[in-house]
Amino acid sequence: MQMRPQIQIKSVIKALAEVVLPAVDPQNKLAQEQARLAIGTLTLMAQQLPLQAQFDLDELSRLIKFSHDLRNCARGGTATQGALAQLAMSSESAAAALESKGLLPQQVEQWIRTLRAESGALIKQLFVDGDPASRVEMRAVVLAMSKEQLLRDRSWLLMQGWEPDPKSIPPIAELLGLASS
Amino acid sequence: MTPDKNRPSPEWISRLRAQFPTEAEIDRILTRKMQHRAGPGYSPLPLESLVKNIESLLHQELKEPFRITDAKWLSGGASKLQVAFTLSWIQPGRGAVQTPMVLRMEPAESIVETSRLREFQLIRAFEGVVPVPPVYWCDADARHLPYPALIYGFAPGVTKPSDAKSGVTGLGTHLPSDLRPKLAQQFVQHLAAIHTFDYRNKGLDAFEVPEAGTTQCAEWGLNWWERVWEEDSDEDVPLMRLAAGWLRENMPVLDRPVVVHADYRVGNFLFTEHDSKISAWLDWELGRIGDRHQDIAWTTSRAFGHMAEDGKTFLTCGLMPEAEFIAAYEKASGLKIDPAAVHWYKVYNDYMMATLTLATGYRIANGGKTHQDVLVTWLMGIGSMLLEEMRSLIEQGA
Repeated sequence: MQMRPQIQIKSVIKALAEVVLPAVDPQNKLAQEQARLAIGTLTLMAQQLPLQAQFDLDELSRLIKFSHDLRNCARGGTATQGALAQLAMSSESAAAALESKGLLPQQVEQWIRTLRAESGALIKQLFVDGDPASRVEMRAVVLAMSKEQLLRDRSWLLMQGWEPDPKSIPPIAELLGLASS
Repeated sequence: MTPDKNRPSPEWISRLRAQFPTEAEIDRILTRKMQHRAGPGYSPLPLESLVKNIESLLHQELKEPFRITDAKWLSGGASKLQVAFTLSWIQPGRGAVQTPMVLRMEPAESIVETSRLREFQLIRAFEGVVPVPPVYWCDADARHLPYPALIYGFAPGVTKPSDAKSGVTGLGTHLPSDLRPKLAQQFVQHLAAIHTFDYRNKGLDAFEVPEAGTTQCAEWGLNWWERVWEEDSDEDVPLMRLAAGWLRENMPVLDRPVVVHADYRVGNFLFTEHDSKISAWLDWELGRIGDRHQDIAWTTSRAFGHMAEDGKTFLTCGLMPEAEFIAAYEKASGLKIDPAAVHWYKVYNDYMMATLTLATGYRIANGGKTHQDVLVTWLMGIGSMLLEEMRSLIEQGA
């Protein structure tokens, strides 16, 4: 199929930038701003789309390991035990699914959502009836995983210009372990 | 069972209200948001029909004839619709005048759900204390306008020089180095004036005062934003769960309730270019009576500043190094800054901003609830940087 997102996005950006935006009333500040944001968003998408599958697989792998590390340190009362059991079940299923190498992109995304939600639920319950020492270990595990994942998220969005020191963020291809083109 | 956040049930809404007690007016507007959530998204409002709505409000407020002309849309904020217009009217005490005005109105849902009544009361209370736009009328319950709104006078000035760099809503504004010291002094003095203002008997009845000597102030704030996270988030973030627990375990005690602007930064004041004088402080919508450390923490956030030309020194709001800012504030206000409280509020502010951008931003853009969903979606991108700042702060304090 020749008409893939890359050529569609490229053409739409050109149309917006060269034809539509110049025709927008310069006095209509809202329309001017949103036309530019439309172009910016499409430009970001054009960068991200080719790497989306690898980005999500990278996150899923991290979440599976994170779930394992959380399970190893979580100790507490009934609320904690319930959340722990749920996370154990889901993370083992996710690991098996990933191992099978047959996951579709939307399935990868769904496993990401599930593990985020269930690890979040366990963390919440650890603050309810978790063992204090367990909470200390949990904090370290969450901070470490988040640091790794957030570096990738920030690199993913670097072209938006939020970072005060963009040179400190490695390119996403490097973080995902992909050969540079 | 996972609640349907796009169609929240009355039972779920009641549970959240009970779980996260906060100020009555905050509870009211969050509850209203949830009750309307399943309703229609925002559809473009023709300027002509908005003008008629404004006329309806003014017919109630004014006894003398008036005329509205030159209505046009404004851009520049992430949360509210703004329409500039000229009002020809008989102003009490002044006679026949033509006044540039701004209608500031909520969309169907906003990236930050706040009370127009509180905003109106706060701006009115600070007239003559710090530069603010004159505020005239408030339609807090949307009896005339399609959504709650207020009308204020157009203040002269710009948020940045015409040749300065900045992103959307003024984030990351780079002010020229020769302009910085002229604005910095006023910046500090105005914040000191806000924090030393006697708010008693100033018409702030939509606000509640947290009890000094307790953690009530911190708790009300945390309850507010944790409730919003629950109401709006789609994809969960384990770090946000850790942050909520950490915040609750480490709440600071309030020493002295003060008015908190809660969005005190470059991009939220106007200044006149010919004399570099700050002419108006804007965006009071998140204001509360609370802890001055919330403002100090907000103003010094990495999201609002940038590196100096030396590439090493981070400039608070692009104006001055943080240590200099704190020292100048303490001198101007006579109030000491507790670094531990600032640290807590930095985590709190990042938690709030991550909630707004990642949770609320997603929810309202997905629901087509604003006049600028593409801006709201774009702003979700800042969430990762804020989360990393929050993560690093928790790690330091761990």
